[in-house]
Amino acid sequence: MIGCYDFCGHYEWTFGWFERTGGHALVRAYWYEAIYLDAQTHARDLIAKEGFEGMAKYWGHTLLEESPSLGFTITQRPDVFRIDFHDCPSRGFLLRNGLKNYRDYCDHCMGWTGPLLKDCGFTIDGEHNHLGQCWWEMRKPDPKRGISPPGATSGSKDARLLPNWKGPGAVIDRYVQASDPDAKEPRST
Amino acid sequence: MSTPPAASPSVLPYTDTKPVGSPDFYYGINSTFKFILAKLGTAGWVRYLEDMAREYHAPANARWKAGGLPAVAAYWRAFFAAEPGSQVSVSEAPGRVKIEVKVCPALKHLKAGGRKIAPEFCRHCYHMGNARAATAGMAMRLEGGNGSCTHTYYGRAAEAPPQDLARIKEVSS
Repeated sequence: MIGCYDFCGHYEWTFGWFERTGGHALVRAYWYEAIYLDAQTHARDLIAKEGFEGMAKYWGHTLLEESPSLGFTITQRPDVFRIDFHDCPSRGFLLRNGLKNYRDYCDHCMGWTGPLLKDCGFTIDGEHNHLGQCWWEMRKPDPKRGISPPGATSGSKDARLLPNWKGPGAVIDRYVQASDPDAKEPRST
Repeated sequence: MSTPPAASPSVLPYTDTKPVGSPDFYYGINSTFKFILAKLGTAGWVRYLEDMAREYHAPANARWKAGGLPAVAAYWRAFFAAEPGSQVSVSEAPGRVKIEVKVCPALKHLKAGGRKIAPEFCRHCYHMGNARAATAGMAMRLEGGNGSCTHTYYGRAAEAPPQDLARIKEVSS
């Protein structure tokens, strides 16, 4: 049986299998069709109907199940919904167990949430360092807006303020008003 | 029949900081099956399961090969203890290990969530279990399905009867 206890492990392995089997297009189709349009219909239903409140219900529930040690912080304001991960339960599982079958596991988050939020009228600003730390801000699109300065939205909980945010092994990927997993800005370390 | 005791993390090659998994991940597993079946057909889905069996599960398979049927039994006891909602008993007899799944945790959660389930869902346990067993010189057979079933691991593959796929029930959503 394929279990849920080590889901993140075989989920990541599956990305690599898809890439070998059908290339990048099949990986993207998987995140969009299987995860967004099928597995996460409950997320879409909540966010499409309730916006930020729906995000709070969805991520409040699912992150508490995945990370009972509270390796995350949710910040909600009238204009933004933000999540800071200090210890991503999903990426952390892979790091602790030495698992890597796909070139960039973290892409899967944008792979399914990007299209979902776009369909609900939101874009995503965010960065991740591939060490289990990241931040995400969901807002209405505004071409004039840049990303928020460190601490501006979530104060001391901002993942960018962690001492190891740019520590050894960190590679920062950034999305700005994005909806597509391939819409990253050039990398920095 | 009883719920397995607490997980023995050292028996499982990949361990988490929480004692049991998040059941909503069963939605992802089911959706993955449906996606592969739609895109690549049954043969592609079986290839996916058998590749995962040999590659992703290689560390556990190696323990089965080294430890034989007692290692298989210990693995499945720990495995189901970490799957929320499962009711499973694992018993050992000469030459075989029997896993009686009274309540399949995946189908329980998928049905409770009103999800459309791949009719072939239960066959994944056979395709994956038998491919994993084969790496250790064993065989696995399955009967039942749609919420409860029996897995049997044979210590010698030659002693296992043929698998009749018709004895694995389709899932009703």
